[in-house]
Amino acid sequence: MDKLGIEYKLILAQLVNFTIIMFVLSKLLYKPILSMLEKRKKKIEEGLVLTEKMKVEEEKMEIRKAKMIAETKKEATVLIEESKVHAKDEAKQIIESAHKEADEIIEKGKLQAAEQKKMMQKEMQQEAIDLATGMAKRLLASAMTAETAHTVLKKHIKELQAIA
Amino acid sequence: MLEISLAAEPIAHIGSFPITNSLALTWLVMALLFIISLNISRKISLVPSHGQSIIESVIEGLYSFFESVVGHHVKALFPLIASLFLFILVANWIGLVPGVGTVGFFHTTKEQPVVVEAQQEGVIQEPIEESRESEMVEATETKFVPLFRGPTADLNTTIALALIAFIAIQYFGFKTLGIKYGSRFVNLKNPIMFFVGLLEIISDISKIISFAFRLFGNIFAGEVLLAVMAFLMPFIAPMPFLALELFVGFIQALVFSTLTAVFVNVAVSHDE
Repeated sequence: MDKLGIEYKLILAQLVNFTIIMFVLSKLLYKPILSMLEKRKKKIEEGLVLTEKMKVEEEKMEIRKAKMIAETKKEATVLIEESKVHAKDEAKQIIESAHKEADEIIEKGKLQAAEQKKMMQKEMQQEAIDLATGMAKRLLASAMTAETAHTVLKKHIKELQAIA
Repeated sequence: MLEISLAAEPIAHIGSFPITNSLALTWLVMALLFIISLNISRKISLVPSHGQSIIESVIEGLYSFFESVVGHHVKALFPLIASLFLFILVANWIGLVPGVGTVGFFHTTKEQPVVVEAQQEGVIQEPIEESRESEMVEATETKFVPLFRGPTADLNTTIALALIAFIAIQYFGFKTLGIKYGSRFVNLKNPIMFFVGLLEIISDISKIISFAFRLFGNIFAGEVLLAVMAFLMPFIAPMPFLALELFVGFIQALVFSTLTAVFVNVAVSHDE
């Protein structure tokens, strides 16, 4: 025993040493690491479940998206068709109203022209009367007496006025 | 000359308690494991650092390995068998670090006075002197004492570990099977079972010896081999042996912890 160096005190010391290190390792190494591994495992599992959910959700979204795009395309086609028809109507209306306005403008122009023509005619008549009156006055002054001239003049003026 | 001592040498004393070089290195191993554990537990995070991933893979590997040996008992057993593995592994490997076993001091011991019998054989004998004279000679011996010695190259450490394993086997046996576990050793149902019980007792006690001497023998032999190789051919030649000893150190740690796990498994599944 002596040659082998076996001593009960040292065996006891090593027993205590190992017990201490076992508790230390258990407290500081195994427990935190095993719980961390467990935690990570749970997180990964949760993540995988979430990913699976997201995939399903994404697929649903894709389907919805495709559906919406198809619907929108359809709506857009209808809208385009409608707007084409609408635009044609509108164009027709616009053209019609333009025609109408143009006609009205022409009518107005014609009326104005007629009125002007009338006014000019009146003015010309007045000028002709004035001219005739002047000429007659001069002619009569030399050939008739003042009294006959006045009577004749009055008669002609009355005739002229009746014409105008 | 090369000095090889089976026993660990004391390097100091606290009262009557000897501090041996293997005990000193055991404390160093404990400190090392403590520092590593403290560092890991302080900086532990869900996204691991390099150090944490290495330790995690070691712990996870050990856990799954021992789970395959002891099944669902692994939760209760893991701190013990993993500690056995890690402690023995670090203790085995630290014994291979250059300086361990080679750095030390010379200790001069006074040996017990030896009686030297001098017989003078002369033809002429002086009358005054006695023909036989005894004189006390005080002999001194200078011995090299290494400062550190591999903890598992000391039988005290391996016996302590074997005792831990033995106590654990019995503890888990009784804890799982209760008093029924005792019938494995003391069975008075019939004479055959009684003798089988006696054999079980002897076999369980012999486990302590086999555990202790297997580990001590392997590690001590390895250290002796390395010392002899280094003594004969100091350069390059010891390298393959050093690699071999690294492997032996790992295997012995694995054997010790696995055998403990297997014996505990046998104990808890007795009569199942």
